Amino acid sequence: MQRRILGLALAVVTVAAVAGCGSSDSGSSAASPAGDGKTTQVTVGVIPIVDVAPLYLGQKQGFFSSRGIELKMVTAQGGAAIIPGVVSGQFQFGFSNTTSLMLAQTKGVPVKSVVNGAASNGKVGADVTAVMVKKDSSIKSAKDLAGHTVAVNTLQNIGDTTVRESVRKAGGDPADVKFVEIPFDQMPAALDGGRVDAAWMGEPAQTIAKAQGARAVASPFAETHPKLTVATYFTSTKIAQENPDLVKKFNEAMTESLKYASEHPDEARQILTTYTKISGDVLTKLTLPNWPAQVDTASLEKLAGLGEQDGIFGGKKPDIGALFS
Amino acid sequence: MTTTYASRPAAPAARRGPAPSPVVLRGLAGLAGLVAVLEVLPRTPLVSADYLPPASTIGRAFWNLLGEGTFWSALGDTLTGWGIGLAIAVLAGVAAGVVIGSVPVLRAATASTIEFLRPIPSVALIPVAVLLYGTDLRSKLLLVVYASFWQVLVQVLAGLQDADPVAQDTARSYRLGTWGRIRYVLWPTALPYVMTGVRLAATVALVLAVTAELVIGAPGLGQQLAVAQTSGAVPEVYALVLTTGLIGVAVNLAARAVEHRVLHWHQSQRGESQSR
Repeated sequence: MQRRILGLALAVVTVAAVAGCGSSDSGSSAASPAGDGKTTQVTVGVIPIVDVAPLYLGQKQGFFSSRGIELKMVTAQGGAAIIPGVVSGQFQFGFSNTTSLMLAQTKGVPVKSVVNGAASNGKVGADVTAVMVKKDSSIKSAKDLAGHTVAVNTLQNIGDTTVRESVRKAGGDPADVKFVEIPFDQMPAALDGGRVDAAWMGEPAQTIAKAQGARAVASPFAETHPKLTVATYFTSTKIAQENPDLVKKFNEAMTESLKYASEHPDEARQILTTYTKISGDVLTKLTLPNWPAQVDTASLEKLAGLGEQDGIFGGKKPDIGALFS
Repeated sequence: MTTTYASRPAAPAARRGPAPSPVVLRGLAGLAGLVAVLEVLPRTPLVSADYLPPASTIGRAFWNLLGEGTFWSALGDTLTGWGIGLAIAVLAGVAAGVVIGSVPVLRAATASTIEFLRPIPSVALIPVAVLLYGTDLRSKLLLVVYASFWQVLVQVLAGLQDADPVAQDTARSYRLGTWGRIRYVLWPTALPYVMTGVRLAATVALVLAVTAELVIGAPGLGQQLAVAQTSGAVPEVYALVLTTGLIGVAVNLAARAVEHRVLHWHQSQRGESQSR
């Protein structure tokens, strides 16, 4: 009788383990051995969103494997899990928005940006993020947001600082905007249900909301700076110091990937189907960011200034030169 | 319905045959009713089809999922975490339970500690798991094992306590050693409790495995669910929820089958098969 229980337990574990092995194989099959025969496995913490398409595209094109880097992407629900993951060494690299990196730096978290990630496309009214309102809303422009509730995915971060800047530029009082925290994917429903007056959405939420009749009233990134560097790939200062060769190779491969993605937007769009579940109309309509190879220092200075103005760095000043050099 | 009732008198002989019992038929009728409601409701102004797609749309999304490699590897990852975690929890729970339960001093010494640790919700350990192991399988295992271990342990302890003192005294007077007493007196009494513990643990383990994937981002169905959510792919979200539900049903049925097999001699199981 006991033998039977043990046998059953073993059978379950074996079946499960076999199933598990099958899955891990499929993930690494894309990597091929490098020219010099040495392959380093590199884990990158990412959020499964449009912005990281070049990374997946570069992996597919072999830009990383040709440099001896075997990429493994680990998706986290939000940037909050990626920075600790990189600092503790679970990921060698991570993807994060630039305000979060500045925040981390002012809090003494040892991170260092290594290569550009994504930037605003600079088109007011057609940028990667927008403040959306319901079709019949009384809000016509960013100025009207004062006195209303605006949803952002994370408070005290890149969303609310840039939305305030849009309001300021339109002549409204940014202090009168009330921000609430709602995940991007829940924003279209929150807006539709009248739980918020407006919502700062990224993709694909923006495109989904548009299909439901929502209007864009502000493009905070483009209005803050036409070349705003929104996110970059980063590593821990420990890896940056101890393994400059790996950082250099990652930077080169990523730069090539960014360039390739910029030149092949259709392929960038298509690669989304491999790591997200975006499909159909949303896939063809969603707005792509710009993927320049270099960060825009002036835009980062601007972003840091906005953060300071809003007091999110706790009275400290981020050192742009040290973080993004 | 009439045919069901007509076939009922012949049920004792037919139960093992292909004809489903009325209980099953009524259950299926309930399920069909739910599907019908889900199909109609989104077409009314009560709920938006954008957030609750009709059952047929969900069904199509589910069918499409079955053709995706990522779905199957995610299913494998979830079952791996579930299976390994459950196995560890059951082995550790039974071992610890037998040791603690058969030594009165140990039992008294650990009672308060167990009562303190047991109610800590496993999900509260998510930040700890993330700090220790990141999105690794180990972080999933930490949550799964922690949650299901107590289910087993507490049942084992309760089962051992239920052992007939007269039987124990008899065993002692026949000079059975500690091992003999555990083997022939304590264990058979405890076994029904243990099986209940295992059944509860199996379900809890699945809940925690999916939670870990959903919240931490460990590979598996939960993570796929999170990806579908961030992609705004609502039908896929429901299809994945449906999948986890089906696994839950399968896990429960399997656990019941194992229980039925292992305890075929026990009054509870014999009673159940007769009353059906």
